[in-house]
Amino acid sequence: MQALKIVVTGCYSAGKTHFIRTLSDIETVSTDYAVTLDEERQLKRETTVALDFGTIAINEHLNLYLFGTPGQERFDFMWEHLSIGCLGYVVMVDSTRPGHFAETQRLMDRFAEITDAPFVVAANKQDDPAALPVSYVRRRLSVPLSVPVLSCTATDRPSAKLVLLGLLKQIAARHQESYPQQA
Amino acid sequence: MALEGTLQDMSLSDLLQIFRLGPKSGILVLNGGDERGVIYVAEGRLVDAALMHTDRSVSAVQEEAVIRMLLWENAAFIFRHDLAVCQRPSKISHDSEWIVMEGMRRRDDPARALPYHTLSLDTQLQLSPLPSSAENGVSLDVNQWRILSQVPSCPNLRTICEATGIPPAQAIRTIAELMAIGLVEVVIPHVPKPRPQQRPAAPAGMLQAGTLEPGFAGAVATAMGGAPDTPQVGRGLIDAIMRRVRGL
Repeated sequence: MQALKIVVTGCYSAGKTHFIRTLSDIETVSTDYAVTLDEERQLKRETTVALDFGTIAINEHLNLYLFGTPGQERFDFMWEHLSIGCLGYVVMVDSTRPGHFAETQRLMDRFAEITDAPFVVAANKQDDPAALPVSYVRRRLSVPLSVPVLSCTATDRPSAKLVLLGLLKQIAARHQESYPQQA
Repeated sequence: MALEGTLQDMSLSDLLQIFRLGPKSGILVLNGGDERGVIYVAEGRLVDAALMHTDRSVSAVQEEAVIRMLLWENAAFIFRHDLAVCQRPSKISHDSEWIVMEGMRRRDDPARALPYHTLSLDTQLQLSPLPSSAENGVSLDVNQWRILSQVPSCPNLRTICEATGIPPAQAIRTIAELMAIGLVEVVIPHVPKPRPQQRPAAPAGMLQAGTLEPGFAGAVATAMGGAPDTPQVGRGLIDAIMRRVRGL
């Protein structure tokens, strides 16, 4: 069995674990532990400290693996390991927490240093009527127009599928740039 | 389910612009320490507001309350969606653009109202792609109009100053005012992509060129000129993955 890997990253409580759970064929493997910091506990009770792991079987020979990174910056040493060999990555951002935008920008800069793989930004929690619009999220994160910023509700499978398909289109476009004769 | 943050994360003028463009309905509560503010928003319009001391005595209402909140340097805010606000009688006659502009006029330094933007003469500007609401009654002064008319044709604030003869300090102040009401925004600079660091090879089991089953070997090629650990998959394989994802 061969494996392809996509990384799902984003800062704390962005919805990475939900995104993987929503898409995975299998019961996801999570390494969640009780939150210890008071300010983090206000957002969620458990957090991912190593990785989340889900799979989508493409066929009998090939699996697409979804790896979720731990959100807190103090676990950023994991990001480099998880990004090795990835086809592309999804940056999840909580559209109802503008206070997380600066940290998400730092995370995006760090990933750009680690890998040149294609990526998309998923503006999560768009099912909340109070959520910030995708255009505002793009502007605040300074995402260039060449990178899609996609509306996302991580708990909703059709929405999560569109984000993953958006990333696959970016991967296909990168492939076409590299190998135009195969187009 | 709510939008939460501080005015350092997102300015009040930004919030009002988001409400207007949404359009959103609900209650915005701001906690500024000594004072607490409440703004009622119905389909993007501000319909009522109040500013209270901690002892619950009211210090300002309606337009004046919002303008004073616009002058706060920081406060925690929470906005909850609530359609019931649409049933409230409107006690605010001016639209939010007028109120934001009035707030900016009262500021000593309007650029300080933009906590996450630093304006300089090299700042590149563009007209906001999001059109303002048609019913707005914002009134611009002569200098605001002169600067606004130069934004599409001038590459940065320096050339706007040269074209209009407006002193830089005044131009920065005016741009801050135009940004606060959503007419102008900073162009996102194109940052050249940093070169990824060299890293160890991918762990065994992950897809690398030449490791696929015979049926997929043709679909995978080694990255050409990219990071050595980033596999390049063939277009046929990408299409197969997309079909599978669509079928989920």
